[in-house]
Amino acid sequence: MPTCLGSFQGVYQVLNKSIVRLAIPVAAGALLLTACSDDGDGGGGGGDTYKIAYQGPLSGQNVALGENMENGVQLAIKEANESGEYDFTIEYKPADDQGAEGQSTSAAQSAIDDPDVMAVVGPAFSGPTFVAAPLYGQAGLAVVSASATNPTITEEGFPTFLRAVPNDNAQGSAMARFLASQDDVESVMVIDDVTPYGEGLADVAMEELEAAGLQAQRESVPADTVDYGSAARTVTSANVDALIYAGYYEALGPFATRLAEAGFEGIGISGDGSNDDEFINLAGGASEGWYLTCPCTDASAEEATQDFADRYQEEYGEAPGTYSAESYDVANMIIQTIAGLDGDVNRQAVYEALASGEYEGLTKTFSFTDTGEFENEGIFLYQVEEGVRGYVGNVDELVGG
Amino acid sequence: MSLSDSWDVLVLGLVLGSLYAVIAIGYTLVYGVLQLLNFAHSEVFMAGGFGGVIALTIVEPAVDPSGMQSAVYVLLGICAGAILGGTIAFGLEKAAYRPLRRRNAPRLVFLITAIGASFFLYNLAGKLFGRYPIAMPTMYENKTVFTVFGTRVSITQLIIVGAALVMLAAVDVIVNRTKLGSGIRAVAQDPEVASLMGVDIDKVVSRTFVLGGLLGGVAGFLFGTNLQVEYTMGFLPGITAFAAAVLGGIGNVRGAVLGGLLLGVVEAFTVEIWSDAWRYVGAFAVLVLVLMFRPTGLLGERVGRAA
Repeated sequence: MPTCLGSFQGVYQVLNKSIVRLAIPVAAGALLLTACSDDGDGGGGGGDTYKIAYQGPLSGQNVALGENMENGVQLAIKEANESGEYDFTIEYKPADDQGAEGQSTSAAQSAIDDPDVMAVVGPAFSGPTFVAAPLYGQAGLAVVSASATNPTITEEGFPTFLRAVPNDNAQGSAMARFLASQDDVESVMVIDDVTPYGEGLADVAMEELEAAGLQAQRESVPADTVDYGSAARTVTSANVDALIYAGYYEALGPFATRLAEAGFEGIGISGDGSNDDEFINLAGGASEGWYLTCPCTDASAEEATQDFADRYQEEYGEAPGTYSAESYDVANMIIQTIAGLDGDVNRQAVYEALASGEYEGLTKTFSFTDTGEFENEGIFLYQVEEGVRGYVGNVDELVGG
Repeated sequence: MSLSDSWDVLVLGLVLGSLYAVIAIGYTLVYGVLQLLNFAHSEVFMAGGFGGVIALTIVEPAVDPSGMQSAVYVLLGICAGAILGGTIAFGLEKAAYRPLRRRNAPRLVFLITAIGASFFLYNLAGKLFGRYPIAMPTMYENKTVFTVFGTRVSITQLIIVGAALVMLAAVDVIVNRTKLGSGIRAVAQDPEVASLMGVDIDKVVSRTFVLGGLLGGVAGFLFGTNLQVEYTMGFLPGITAFAAAVLGGIGNVRGAVLGGLLLGVVEAFTVEIWSDAWRYVGAFAVLVLVLMFRPTGLLGERVGRAA
């Protein structure tokens, strides 16, 4: 680093016109960043090196959800390399899509362009998945999402997409069944955030609510709205017993606050997009009592994942978040699949082995239908109580069938 | 829609509209003296939001604050927002626009610089504070203060409208009654003659930016209190407030206020009658309609004259 700086200082003193005075430090800075910041390789293991990419929001508004998953993937890779069980080394490749459609193409392309990448965990969100899945399909690269839950993704026929999570049909129906099982709920308002995730979830919830004989109304509030006061008014003046919010925590935070101020006293329930502690940070006391559903289990509360939760805590200094354990499972499934190929590793072989295989993970058993849909369904319920996201249990068991 | 519903919606609209009005003044003042569309003003507004968050995070508001404590927190947030907003606006003028004026750069260069400064600032904020939303620390329990015709008015709403009214009145006095104000009006009317008459144009321009920045910063803090603070928070309110300034007649301070309030109220009623997804469709349809019949805006450009 010092040598880099020194050489530029020499040039800097020679040139000192006003434009140069501005331009040199900028150029020097840029060069320093590229030339002098070599991270070095992770190392470990031996033989061939394969990469597992993760596509999700590693910056942007939903970074908290993205990092939960990234940590799970990285932990799986680290443990695999350190175990010495494999005659190859796995490396991690991040592909940041900021959770946005617009960034999804370049994120996917960066993973595709790296010939060592054998499979991708992600994309984290449904919207970017619609954009990225065709690209991965063309490249023959397996893309296994542990969290993109929009039901229609698997109807598009993307050649290499596998969904390692129950889709929103399961989640929307679980919300509706849970509300229907509550004695004092007769009317429900469903609000989506005008994203593919929110709209998909809300569509299913509406159908299920009507099928369960409840009065259901639908509203849409874009996630970037400047004032949740109006939306809160819509809810309170409709006088409903319960509200389903189909969207992400960053929007539910201020919305829940306005709802509490507007005097909404019904049941509030939202999906896995809001199932994050950041929701409680943003909404404060207004998050109290909110139910959150998720196809994800609570790694700390379930016995099978307790050990994983401890190791995760040790590695990252925090408890596993939403989809951490699932991402860990998916990454391990990919590693095992690569190991099972006995050296004959290429993208097509990895995809085929993943699609036809079955993997017993910590959280659930992974196997896929012909369309790449997840074969099992299981939705879990959480509730915010005294500022903490508490695990309530499996919705099927709570509803009683 | 019943009468009491209309009141509810009107209150929501006025709260949002008064924020737009305060931001719009920043656009209109700068346009008045420089004929510059300062798109980086939305980032001045964003900076005000972070100013409030920083100040309140440092003092750590008490869990159950007394009324006096709450008032101190709110004032602190307002001051922090104003200071950061004013500083950013001052720095922006000094670093980005003044060099261009010295070189008599074409109008287009100013515009591109403004857009560039906007991108620079909000990405910098994302880098510094993280690219995720942050809730404003709780300063008071936001309960209903009073009820007018069945409409509940909360503390936050009262603070927003109250602070906005004070600032709007202050700007009106500054522009019309003070030496700085006559300087601003003189430069807006004819910079060359103004400088011949002994007006220090650089000083007037710089102070105009600071004045707009103070207002924008406070608006950012108030907006953050009502929603949350985030590095991209400036974009939508900024664009809407700019539209409000044009709607009222850009360059005209009272026009900016009128335009801001009108857009806020139209937005609120659009949401009530259709839905939140139609918010900007309604508001901007009104904008287009008004400009069709009054291309100079509702009140026309009048900073130069005694507006």
